[in-house]
Parts: sequence; C-alpha cells; structure tokens
Amino acid sequence: MMAEPPPVVSAALTETTVQVSSDFKGARIVLYGAVFEAGDGPEDVVVIVRGPDQPVRIARKQRVAGLWLNSRPVVFRGAPGFYMAASNRPLDQIATFGTLRRLGAGVDHLPINAPAEQRVETRYGIRDMVVSRLGSDYYAWRRAVVRLKTRAGLYDEDGQGVRFVDRGLFRAEIALPAAAPTGVYQADILLFRDGQAVSRRARTLTVEKVGLERTLYVWAHDRPWSYGLACVAFALTVGWAASAAFRRD
Amino acid sequence: MDIYLPIAEVSVNAPLIVALGLLVGFISGLFGIGGGFLMTPMLVFLGVPPAVAVASMAVHVAGSSASSVAAYGRQRAVDGRMGAVLAAGGIVGAVAGVELFRWLRLLGQADLVVALSYLVFLSVIGALMLSESLGAVLRRRRGQPPPPRRERRPPWLYGLPLKMRFPRSRLYISVIPPLALGGFVGVLSAIMGVGGGFILVPAMVYVLRMPASVVVGTSLLQIIVTSALTGVLQAGRNQAVDIVLATLLLVGGVLGAQFGARASARFRAEELRVVLALIVLAVGLRMGLGLLMAPVEPFVLMAGAAG
Repeated sequence: MMAEPPPVVSAALTETTVQVSSDFKGARIVLYGAVFEAGDGPEDVVVIVRGPDQPVRIARKQRVAGLWLNSRPVVFRGAPGFYMAASNRPLDQIATFGTLRRLGAGVDHLPINAPAEQRVETRYGIRDMVVSRLGSDYYAWRRAVVRLKTRAGLYDEDGQGVRFVDRGLFRAEIALPAAAPTGVYQADILLFRDGQAVSRRARTLTVEKVGLERTLYVWAHDRPWSYGLACVAFALTVGWAASAAFRRD
Repeated sequence: MDIYLPIAEVSVNAPLIVALGLLVGFISGLFGIGGGFLMTPMLVFLGVPPAVAVASMAVHVAGSSASSVAAYGRQRAVDGRMGAVLAAGGIVGAVAGVELFRWLRLLGQADLVVALSYLVFLSVIGALMLSESLGAVLRRRRGQPPPPRRERRPPWLYGLPLKMRFPRSRLYISVIPPLALGGFVGVLSAIMGVGGGFILVPAMVYVLRMPASVVVGTSLLQIIVTSALTGVLQAGRNQAVDIVLATLLLVGGVLGAQFGARASARFRAEELRVVLALIVLAVGLRMGLGLLMAPVEPFVLMAGAAG
C-alpha cells in the first residue's frame, strides 16, 4: 500500500510590488493559494506578512516631582516594521502555544527582545542565566511594544483573514497602512494539519517609493546638506516672490 | 485629497495643511508675529512626527519671514547693524540648539523639553502681554493718558564692555546683550520649531529699548538668518526636513499673511494684543497639560532609528 502523499500548500500574490507615490494612502495586498492533496482532517492556513526589521525605541512615563516624564528609552530588537497574521480561524484554535511560539506566529509570539537590557549571570546556582534589567516589568514593556504598534495599524492578527473560496482554494487580504515602512516584505504561507505545520511557502513583496517621493527621500538621506540648502533656497525664493507679487506700491 | 509626505512618511490631507497655513499666516499677518508656536503643535496633533514638524517649520519660517522682510526693507525699517549682531548670536544658538535637540532625542527627552519650553515661555510671555495690554485697554476706556515711558535703560546695559554704535536705533550699547538674545532665540528656534519673534520683539522693545519703528523689521532679519541656518542644519544633521510639508505650509502661510496684514488695520493695537496674549497662553497651557495629567497610555514609542 502506497503512503499518502503529504499535503502541500501553494500561493501567489496578485501584485509583488507596492508603489508609494504622492497619493499613497495604504494598500491592500491580495493573496490566492491552494491546498493540494487535501485530506479529511481539519486543515488550517495561516498567512504571515512581515516587513523589514525596525528596532523599536520605547519609553515609559514616570511621575517625577509632580510631572509626567519619559524614562530612559529601551531598545527592542527583532521587531518587524510591519506584521500581520491572517488565518482562517483564531490562531489559538489552530495550534498550541508552543507551536505558535516556535514559528513566531501571532503578535504575542514575535521574537522581540531588548538585548541591551540583558545580562548573563549565575542565579540559584545555575550558570549563564539570561536576566533582564527590566525585571518583572519586562513583559509589560514587551506587551506595550505590540499594543502601540497595533494601534498604529502596523501589527495585527485577523482570525478570519483567510477565507476558503472553494475546496482547497483560499484567499487572504492584508491591509498595509500608509505608515508601513518601505523595503522587502516576506509573506509566509503555512498549512496546519492537526495542529502541526506541515507545509510552507514563502513569497516576497517589495514596498518602494517611486517618482518625486523617491527622488526627495533619496536626496534627503544621501546628500542631506545639499538637500537642506536647496530647501531653504527654495523657501526664501517663494517668500521673496510672494512679497513681490503682493507689493502694493 | 491626501498627500504622502516623503520624509515624515505619513499621509496627510493636503487642503487641510494649506488651510492651516492660511489660518496661521492670517494670524501672523494680523499680529506681526511668525506664528510658529501655533503651527508646530498643530502639525504634531495632525500626526506629523515632532522632529519632522520642528525641522520643516524652520524652512517654512525662513520663507514666510522673507516675504515680510522685503516690505519692511522698502520702508527702511530695518537696523542692519543690530540685525547682524543678533543674527551672529542666532547662528551660534542655532548650531548649539540643533546639537542639543539631537542629544535630547537620543536620551528620549526631546518631547519633554519641547513641552516644558512651550509651557514656560508661552505662559510667561502670554501672561506679561495680557497684563500689559489689558492695562492699556482699561486706561483708554477710562480716558486716562498712557503712563510715561521710562526712558532710563537698565544700568547693566551700559556697564558691559564691547560697546558699539547703532545709529539707526539711536543706541550706543554693549554687543553682549543682543548677542546673547540672538543666541537664546536661535536655540529656541531649533528646539521649538518657532521663529522666536514672540521673545525677540518684547526683548528688543523693553530691554534694548530700540525704537518701535525698526523693531519688527530688524527681528525679521535675525529670524531669517537663524531659521535658514536651522533648516540647513536640521536637514544635514537630522534628515528631518520635509520639503513637501514646508511647501504646503508656505503656500497657505504667504497668502494668509497678506490678508492678515490688511485686516490688522481695522483693529486697535491693544485689543489685538489682548487676543494674541490669550492665544499664546492657551497654547502654552495646552502643551504643558500633558506633563501634569496622568497619561492614559503609560508607554510611548520614540520616533527615529534606534541607536
């Protein structure tokens, strides 16, 4: 008797580049995919879109002498600039906590940490333990990163973001806000059977500035001094020209 | 119609920004001030990152001051020598201010210093202006004559070395006070995203005792030099100048200033100053409120790449 072939997932993005021009208000990324050799067990699809990594600096408000001031900022590394996990049902129903954590699937399982706040020491007789200077507040800081990014529309989870449109054929739609960073994005399409990831496909997506937006951005970052001089010269000319135009004598 | 700002990396409503420029330009023409202290908080409120708002405002202030100074120059209401001394101080102040702002951003304390500066300077200036202008309005209502202007200048102005003649202002004073004043305003322009006229003008009138006819034109000269330099430095050191944003503001601001200047002829100067004092006080208190109230969200994300 032949062994049953493993189920396989396949997917494609309808567009592989998102162009950021002056009328950019965000974009919707549409992805279609199919599950081959679908068995009779429950099958789930998770689509994870990650933007380029962007370290996060975060501070906490502290009351000092009656005023609310920012604490020293803490840098979290490994945080993507954009993160969206879409699935056909909520992630915690698809797989166990441990599986999701290992795959980095879901905003609670992002592998972000603050290495500058960590040190290795011997505790309770155990050597090389990683201890965070933030102490027990560490998880409050980490949750705050996710919460603030979620509020800005940059992180999200959508338990109904993947819809099966036909037997084995699914569609996912992901909203990209205007604040999403430019760069190369990776879309991971994971197929779960019985709570285990059995197949995986990766697709890339490029978000890039085009036209005048790109020219100005590149100029401002590559040759900042000439850009600054040009900006000021332009503003002075506009101001002087306006005063000449409105001259009343 | 939304427009994407390439440096701020946010999408804003273009007509709204132009309208904001018009409104602030109108107010600045009406009162003869730059209006940066109103514009910067509003931009931040609309979602522009504070660093980009402050830096782009420097470029906007340079442009809008250029449109006004030409008119004062034609009326020969500029003391070029005093303007040069103030601007020399302003250059030092702007360089120091941009570096200070950069350092504060690295420490994560830029927001705090910006809010504190607004609270302290706007509240003090607003309160002083309000008491002075209310006094003038009340005296006029009661038909009293204005109090005799104290002609005696503060003695420390004369005790300092490095004296210089300023023929157009009819002054013979040390260059140290105007240099220090210019430097102080330069630092503020880098940190608060303002031209600094709201401090410069009263200081020139009440401390340096310059004749009122040359005060506004001379202060504009200092503001142009300082804000143009701040703009270049902010672009060069912090890459925070958004020319699209500055241009949108400039279009509205230049038009608004013309209407404001024409409208100002219809109102009494003291009454205008009462209104301006109230606006200044309100902005200062609003910016400072965040420091006093318990925050709803205890954490804040800091803009800019991590160091």
